[in-house]
Amino acid sequence: MDVDYKQLFDDAPCGHLLVSADGIILRANTWLTDLLGYPIGGIDGKRLRDIFGMSGRILYETNLAPLLRLQRTISEVTLDLKRSDGTAIPVIMGASMVADPSGLPHMTRIAFLQAGERRLYERELLSARDDAEQGLRQQQAHGELREQFIAVLGHDLRNPLGSMSAATRMLAKETLSDRGRQVIGLMQGSVLRMSGLIDNVLDFARARLGSGIGLDLQTHESLEPLIDQVVQELRASSPDHQVQTSYAITHPVRCDVSKIGQIASNLLGNALSHGDPAQPIRVHAETTTSGEFRLWVANGGSPIAQDALTKLFDPFVRGQSGGYREGLGLGLYIAHEIAKAHGGTLTVTSTENETRFIFEMPR
Amino acid sequence: MSSLSRNNVKVSGSGSRTILFAHGFGCDQAMWRFVAPHFEKTFKVVSMDHVGAGGSDLDAYDSEKYASLDGYASDIVEIARELGIQNGIFVGHSVSAMIGVLASLKAPEIFDTLIMVGPSPRYIDDGDYVGGFGASDIEELLASFADNPLAWSAAMAPTIMGNQERPELGQELTQSFCRTDPRIAHEFARATFTSDNRADLPKVTARTLILQCRDDIIAGENVGEYVRQNIDGSTLVLLDATGHCPNLSAPAEVTRAIKDFG
Repeated sequence: MDVDYKQLFDDAPCGHLLVSADGIILRANTWLTDLLGYPIGGIDGKRLRDIFGMSGRILYETNLAPLLRLQRTISEVTLDLKRSDGTAIPVIMGASMVADPSGLPHMTRIAFLQAGERRLYERELLSARDDAEQGLRQQQAHGELREQFIAVLGHDLRNPLGSMSAATRMLAKETLSDRGRQVIGLMQGSVLRMSGLIDNVLDFARARLGSGIGLDLQTHESLEPLIDQVVQELRASSPDHQVQTSYAITHPVRCDVSKIGQIASNLLGNALSHGDPAQPIRVHAETTTSGEFRLWVANGGSPIAQDALTKLFDPFVRGQSGGYREGLGLGLYIAHEIAKAHGGTLTVTSTENETRFIFEMPR
Repeated sequence: MSSLSRNNVKVSGSGSRTILFAHGFGCDQAMWRFVAPHFEKTFKVVSMDHVGAGGSDLDAYDSEKYASLDGYASDIVEIARELGIQNGIFVGHSVSAMIGVLASLKAPEIFDTLIMVGPSPRYIDDGDYVGGFGASDIEELLASFADNPLAWSAAMAPTIMGNQERPELGQELTQSFCRTDPRIAHEFARATFTSDNRADLPKVTARTLILQCRDDIIAGENVGEYVRQNIDGSTLVLLDATGHCPNLSAPAEVTRAIKDFG
């Protein structure tokens, strides 16, 4: 079959150019000549730069020409050509360099496709990206404000509570009536619970609104005194409910000790709120030979309903039973978040016999 | 951080004198790959990428520092001091010619010779001075970066070359040349094309050679002549090469001119 390559060059459905080494257009095809608004043959003999806009000329001289010399080919360049009436027309350009035997540029072949619609689409994408970036910057500014707010709130709430705690300790040393001692005990319990609530609220705010729960990781030889102190404090506020402890901590644990105390406090607080007061609560902490630290808290009473189990670690979920004292319902959510932050897990099993929360983390 | 890793500095060759090659706007040290090797027998040869170009450390890019050519000149001084260059030769293409001027004014001891390939102290016309561009031309250029950043896409993608024709490029089959982040290219274009270093030219004390191409739309012959007139004792050589990048299109002629002057 005879193929007329000259006709293919002239009538191809895209633009073709042959350009000499010194930038003179040797031959332009019909498609390109028409596109640029010249009569047939009207581009031949012009300089390549004559059909580029100003930015295209600079791009070509400083970037495209060097690339052509270094790589011999360039592709997917998007630029504007200049028509005979001075208007710009967006195109996609590819080019290849033909070298002479010494490797120096001899001729450049250039092909063009029209790219008006594509350019519009790109502009829309760019503008959408700019909007998204601006929105993100605003969100980040808001985030910083929230962080500051959380820090200030924590500081301002803890200070007066610290004063109240010190005041009740001082009063407890005075000679008081039986009733007075009872009231002071209740007040100290309230201060303790409020302190725990502030910790939970601040951690919730950091986890949900700020930069996440931050950990101050250190290696602790034994966590037993810490957990025992948490148990003692909560026992004092609920003297009627028996709490049994057992410990088997034989390895050091790398953790944020105040956060582990918070998990213990939240789990025990939860058991005191929802467990059957007639049945003892059991607290057990251990390190395992397989490299884990485990803390579990078990209480008796009616089991947690199956559909409630799945939502137990969501924020603001409150128990159904009466005598609820935890307030916002953040305790289990925060304990779960702290467990995650330590690379650990918090799980629950609930049967007729007992409800048990198990915290496990690599030590 | 070391300026040598920041600017992707490559040192080769041996000799008592050092010759440093700096690339212009739009490309990277690959610009000198057909020229620099010819100096390795007699010189210690240093090539580098400006921050934002080629293999430089993009994390070191600082919009404020590089808003003017002065930031780029400080980098040259740091590189020269870190390499202990004294009385060396600075070869700057395009905008790097003026970056070399600024560096030699900051630290005259590092370079006693400046070779300028296609220099321009100011691209925008100003009164009687003809830089070759109207203010609106440069505005159009700068607007195009925001409007069409993909214009630079040819430099972004690694290119796989057939290596039979060019065995010397074999080891860089998938390297991309002249890599440029469009955002940085935009700011470098602004620093380049709005610069005005005319007042610095008379202060130059280094021996100066100007290599001028024919038919160069970025830095025309009248601009090269302006540089020659304003640097005392400087020499201008008009090359046969055309365009703005004789280091790529006529490397033998550029190499010979530098050696003849050296």
